[in-house]
Amino acid sequence: MSRASPDRRPDRPATDGDLVALDLRLWKLPRGRHGLPREVVARSQRERLIAAVVRVTAAKGYQATSVADVLKAAGVGRESFYKHFEGKEDCFLAANDVLIDDLEATVTDAYAQPGSWSERIRRGLAATLEWLAADADVARVMMLEMGTVGPIATTRFRQTFHRFTVLLDDGREAIDGVPDLPNLSSIAGGAVFARVYEQVALGETESLPQLLPQLTFELLLPYVGEAVAAAERTAAEEEVAKQNANSERGAGTPR
Amino acid sequence: MTQEFEAVAEPGVLTPRMPRDVGARSQRQRVLDALALTCAQKTFAATTIGDIVTEAKISRATFYKHFAHKRECFDAAVAAFADELEAAAIDAQKRSDARSLAVQEAIAAILDLLAEKPEWARLVLIDAPIVEPAILGGHRDRVVEGLEAQWQRGKGGEHAKADSLIAFGRAHVLIADYLAAGRADQLPKLLPELTYIALLPFVGHEQALAQDKLAR
Repeated sequence: MSRASPDRRPDRPATDGDLVALDLRLWKLPRGRHGLPREVVARSQRERLIAAVVRVTAAKGYQATSVADVLKAAGVGRESFYKHFEGKEDCFLAANDVLIDDLEATVTDAYAQPGSWSERIRRGLAATLEWLAADADVARVMMLEMGTVGPIATTRFRQTFHRFTVLLDDGREAIDGVPDLPNLSSIAGGAVFARVYEQVALGETESLPQLLPQLTFELLLPYVGEAVAAAERTAAEEEVAKQNANSERGAGTPR
Repeated sequence: MTQEFEAVAEPGVLTPRMPRDVGARSQRQRVLDALALTCAQKTFAATTIGDIVTEAKISRATFYKHFAHKRECFDAAVAAFADELEAAAIDAQKRSDARSLAVQEAIAAILDLLAEKPEWARLVLIDAPIVEPAILGGHRDRVVEGLEAQWQRGKGGEHAKADSLIAFGRAHVLIADYLAAGRADQLPKLLPELTYIALLPFVGHEQALAQDKLAR
């Protein structure tokens, strides 16, 4: 996996993940004949199926979702579905991969901006919370539905957790006096994971960005202690207050 | 180990007695064991009553004698193991008068029990929160209340300390991660880190780290 570093190019090469806009509903191609080359059609079929499995699973739950539901939502035929995926689980896991890649790219970009390690962690966390808050279906599918799929998804789930905690490992070199605990990054990241999971389970995904101050403190605490973590929490409070003021001001203007 | 604890562990107490309902009770226990095993293999959502009765080697009718449906069986299993964990923790903390050490003894007992019964550990810590987040919330409140009873949790010092509900979340994520990775046998090694996590909201980062060193 790619590790974040300050010199990481922000203009990363386009991958499948990059093509996925957060509003997956926008992918649907116009119906009827079109002159697109076959691989473009195939890719967009795949994208439509991935968007559909996210929407349908968020609404019905993974266990109650059938391939037929996904086909209907995507406007794709059964034969085409099986050209891309082995079945429901394969399609669902592919959707999860696309989403995780997108989240990871967003977080590592935010983390790569110049600043102290604590500052960069705070920005990475802010990006995570905003990304999740932007689409409640996506957050629900990634945090809750993944757990209901089965053993493969459970393994994938914990691997995903470590794809993000690994970003914290830079802290061991970046700051002095980091505690010598083998699972330090899990202890720090676990605070964020547990709190975000709870918020999504409560159906309060949109308000995730409001948790930035508290979670900045809890995330940094095991690395830097109370004083430094509290200073970064203050910075996060200012950030959230600014954002809230902006969105209040923007509330009157049409989108 | 104190005198008091040795008294509890005296052989007479553990001598098996045979109450009249032993057949029915062990049948019920077999159903619960079968549920824990099947859920560990395929998650609760994918487990059917057919799976449970096959594993328990009982008939469907026998299953329905004990439980109205799969969820009732699941809830009974989760509650039984949660009670077992709590009893082990309460027993263990009597081994020390110093509250930090008492907490550490309780954590050690919980980790040993989780390591000994990995399927049950998965049931309570991985499946239960998915089936019904409130189940874990209930256990969390019990654990946090127990800890907070030990410490008068003031704002302490110029920077507020970590949140105790989040501390439970850290511990849960760390243990569930080991369980999901098939590393249940290594759970007892997490004692120093879980001691740090549990003490963090009450004594602060520096002191919690000092206690973690004692645990090694």
